[in-house]
Amino acid sequence: MRSNKLGWILLAPTLLILFFFGVLPFVYVVFVSFHQWNPFAASPEMIFNGADNFRRIVFDSAFLNSLGVTVAFVLFAVISEVIIGYMLAQAFMREFPGKAFFRTIHTLPLIMAPIIVGSVWKLMTTPSIGIIPHYLDKWFGISMNIGTSAPAAFFTIVVMDIWHWTPLVTLTLIAALVSLPRDPFEQAQIDGANKRQIFWHITLPMIAPALIATVFIRLMDALRTVDEVWMLTGGGPGSSTRFLGVHIFKEVFPKTNYGYGSTISVIVLYLTIVVCWLLYVSMLAPRNNRKG
Amino acid sequence: MNYALKVGVSALALSIASTAAYADDAFWKKAAEPYQDVTLHGVTESTPPSNYIREVLAPQFEELTGIRVDIETTSWDQMYDKAIKDMEVGTGIYDMVFIEQDIVYSYLSRNFLTDTTKLLADNPSLKAPTYSEDNFTTFADYFRGENGDLYGVPMEAFIKIYLYRTDLFNDPEIKEAFKAETGRELKPAKTHEEYGEIARFFTKWGKDHDMDLWGTTAQAHTGHPASFYEYFESIAPTYGVYNWGIDADNNYAATVEHGGKMNSPEAKKALKWWLSMRDIAPPESNASTWTEVGTTFGAGRVAQGLVYGENAGWIAADESKSLVVGKVGVALPPLEDGILEEVENGKGYIGYYDGGAFGIPSPSKNKEAAMLFLQYIGQDEVQPDWAVAAPRVTNKATYDDPKVQEMNKELGGYYDLLRDKGYLFAGAPAYPFHAQVREAVSPILYEILTGDLDPDTGLDQMAAKAEAELTDLGYRK
Amino acid sequence: MKKRNPILTTLFWILISLLTLFPIYWLFVISVKPAVQLFSTPDLILNNPYWGNYTEVLGNRLVRSYMINSLIISSGNALLCTVLGFFTCYALSRFDFKGKESIFFWTITNRMAPPAVFLLPLFLLMTQVYRIGEFTLLDTRIGMILVYCTFNLPFAIWTLRPTIDGIPKELDEAAYVDGASPWKVISEIVFPLCRPGLAVTLILTWVFAWNEYLLAATLTNFDARTLTTGLSEYVTTTGTEWGIMATISVFTLIPALIVFGLVQKHIVAGLTFGAVKG
Repeated sequence: MRSNKLGWILLAPTLLILFFFGVLPFVYVVFVSFHQWNPFAASPEMIFNGADNFRRIVFDSAFLNSLGVTVAFVLFAVISEVIIGYMLAQAFMREFPGKAFFRTIHTLPLIMAPIIVGSVWKLMTTPSIGIIPHYLDKWFGISMNIGTSAPAAFFTIVVMDIWHWTPLVTLTLIAALVSLPRDPFEQAQIDGANKRQIFWHITLPMIAPALIATVFIRLMDALRTVDEVWMLTGGGPGSSTRFLGVHIFKEVFPKTNYGYGSTISVIVLYLTIVVCWLLYVSMLAPRNNRKG
Repeated sequence: MNYALKVGVSALALSIASTAAYADDAFWKKAAEPYQDVTLHGVTESTPPSNYIREVLAPQFEELTGIRVDIETTSWDQMYDKAIKDMEVGTGIYDMVFIEQDIVYSYLSRNFLTDTTKLLADNPSLKAPTYSEDNFTTFADYFRGENGDLYGVPMEAFIKIYLYRTDLFNDPEIKEAFKAETGRELKPAKTHEEYGEIARFFTKWGKDHDMDLWGTTAQAHTGHPASFYEYFESIAPTYGVYNWGIDADNNYAATVEHGGKMNSPEAKKALKWWLSMRDIAPPESNASTWTEVGTTFGAGRVAQGLVYGENAGWIAADESKSLVVGKVGVALPPLEDGILEEVENGKGYIGYYDGGAFGIPSPSKNKEAAMLFLQYIGQDEVQPDWAVAAPRVTNKATYDDPKVQEMNKELGGYYDLLRDKGYLFAGAPAYPFHAQVREAVSPILYEILTGDLDPDTGLDQMAAKAEAELTDLGYRK
Repeated sequence: MKKRNPILTTLFWILISLLTLFPIYWLFVISVKPAVQLFSTPDLILNNPYWGNYTEVLGNRLVRSYMINSLIISSGNALLCTVLGFFTCYALSRFDFKGKESIFFWTITNRMAPPAVFLLPLFLLMTQVYRIGEFTLLDTRIGMILVYCTFNLPFAIWTLRPTIDGIPKELDEAAYVDGASPWKVISEIVFPLCRPGLAVTLILTWVFAWNEYLLAATLTNFDARTLTTGLSEYVTTTGTEWGIMATISVFTLIPALIVFGLVQKHIVAGLTFGAVKG
């Protein structure tokens, strides 16, 4: 093994950048989270209030509701994206006419900015004059109003997210699948393994690192979704699509509630880390042990 | 006629710019001499009047004085956030900020703004001969501090008015049908009852004739503060509930129990009436902010509605955006009995007088140069062209300009109404906690709008929530 | 694998493609409709396109400067993150540190932060702390390139790690035995083998940076404003300029398409790479 010095040199720029732009701001947010601070309160300065904000959050029904809808959204969206994305990636592993063309088309949604995606879907789903509600009503007699129906708004966002981000999953999984060695698959086929066995025992373990990386990225991006939802529903109807990202946004932007907003952010970040860490350890650790 | 937003992107505007030449060139050149190296930075909401500043007035000013002006235009929520961060931290990025009428009290309470009256008094050489605070309409008074000094130069002002379709209201067949059904002549409503009658009539008319036509607008978004504003600033006052039903002189009480009016019987009546109108408004109303209300009206989907004055301009006259050009009339909003007398006697208001000003943030390092620019855009001389490009009036003299008079006709008499009846309208209440209470209370209003809460319970909860928030913020003791 | 009916396969892909393309098609439809038609009854088929929005956007000097800023920021950021991500993953894969798995996991936590609340500290740091005299990082392209690292660098590290871990250590060990320098091993042995993974990383970090809105909206004012922040100029109280917004959006797609087209080849190259290895 070569000296670890070289290793540290290679790591240093990354650690420095993340320290100055990730850790320091985080330290500041943690600091603020122990304060009562709203620049437009009767006393606009920062007032230390210990763990009051953290006590308050436990009983904050608005926050808990936001947490609930966010979890539901993340589950629906990410699970669908991973399943559809994997199936499409497998389909792209075969040869068929026009494959490169279709693959290019399939990656197009990715290149659209979330704020643009939100705008287009808003125009497509505006009650009665958007193209989707219009034809749903005309062809099937279904009335869809994202301004009144919470499920309609929620699932519009889920579908929008699936449309937007499945290509990311497909793309990273294609990259993972193409670099798999062929021997184990050929061997398994010779041994008479069926498709399901091959998937569970060979494909899945081999693409697990890439799959987990992708799931993580989608998971945390879905958890902090703001732009699309902001454009599409603004969190409504009611609070039915007021996801954590939107909730925090409303707390710190219009409400300028920097103190409590920081507390919510710290808690959300903490929860995200815990969930991801558990996933990471439970999914990756056994594999490493087996290997090592 | 094609107004307003086109200014933002057309080079045509610049050709208007270069034609302006004033007798006082000498003053500007001399006053600007010490600031030749200065570049002024301003942030504003992207509105037609702001775009006019960026595309026309700023280049004009630069040509005249040699002082460069960069204006950043951005969306409503971004504009607030950026201005507040700059002033809170004291960075001094901006030399001018847009002050929406409803946020001025928050800014004043934090001493974010420079006293322009005092700045000019202290630096007599800066004072432009063509600038005077007396030129402004009474709207400027919203930007005065407790000492009576001016903290912002008004740049846009509108009232939210009752807009109706003259073509429909004058259609003989419709008039006859309306009379047959109600026994009344069809004319713009004076009371809520009349308004509701007309609204129901037209919604039914649209249905019977298989037209995309409804009887009223409703700015009833279920996730955006636009609905909060429509209810508290346009509907509740016409029932006699002013200042959001919060009594500032009585320890900021909001509940009836403590002396407020947010959940008073009048407020509840107002909300129920508004909901009943929302129910017969076009289906998109539940996802409508002020933007979509304007587009709904401009697309010819409604017969009448309450519409922000800044949209009335393009609805009435811009053929590239509106299908109802020349078919629009303006009137005062419908009222409960006795409200008009009450307001005439100086208590309360009947609707929203909205707009904004340009102010100089305290941390600015170029206050003097910024003051020159503010005076420049506050002169009577630049107003008429500005008003034509982006319908707004902030100076008294502007009303009499022939170009503006011409436009007044196109807008169905909107400017006359603004001048003669403007005093019946009022800006947002003088609360430094405007956005804070709005955001606290709005989610409950959204639930009422989606039907998850009945209006009575909902308003009770809103009043209680407002008091809780005010206690949290330290205003309510 | 069983033979599949080629017509059915093609039909399947056409259907999927139509679903994928529809919102993009609709974006285009919005961009070629005059405002007055946007809120009337929608029509699936496009007739009489109106190009007014395009002439307006093309004639707008600000949009051009936003476009240049966006290109510089996202390309700079994507390159920086891909290179640093590659170094980091190589270090994590080939060297033994105490707690290297913790470092690896920690990097990703930087992407988890809900952005809204981090804007204030970033604003403070960039205006008050990271400054040399009058020069601050606020409203600069380099500032945005660095800020975007907070979400793109973790992404790069996480997508590159499996790729680099998948390259047999024996390959670089053999090179070291032959007397190659570490730099030579990295650039001539590991780097070429990682090309598909690097291509995917580059493309996706580029896209994330190109599309970012909230950070750019707060941390740029005049000089470094990006295309996405330019879009918010058309959301106004007097009506969102959907046509112009859609037109700018169409313009944001073009560079993204070009970048995608360029890098896609390398993903395809990955196919041969897999074969060789197998």
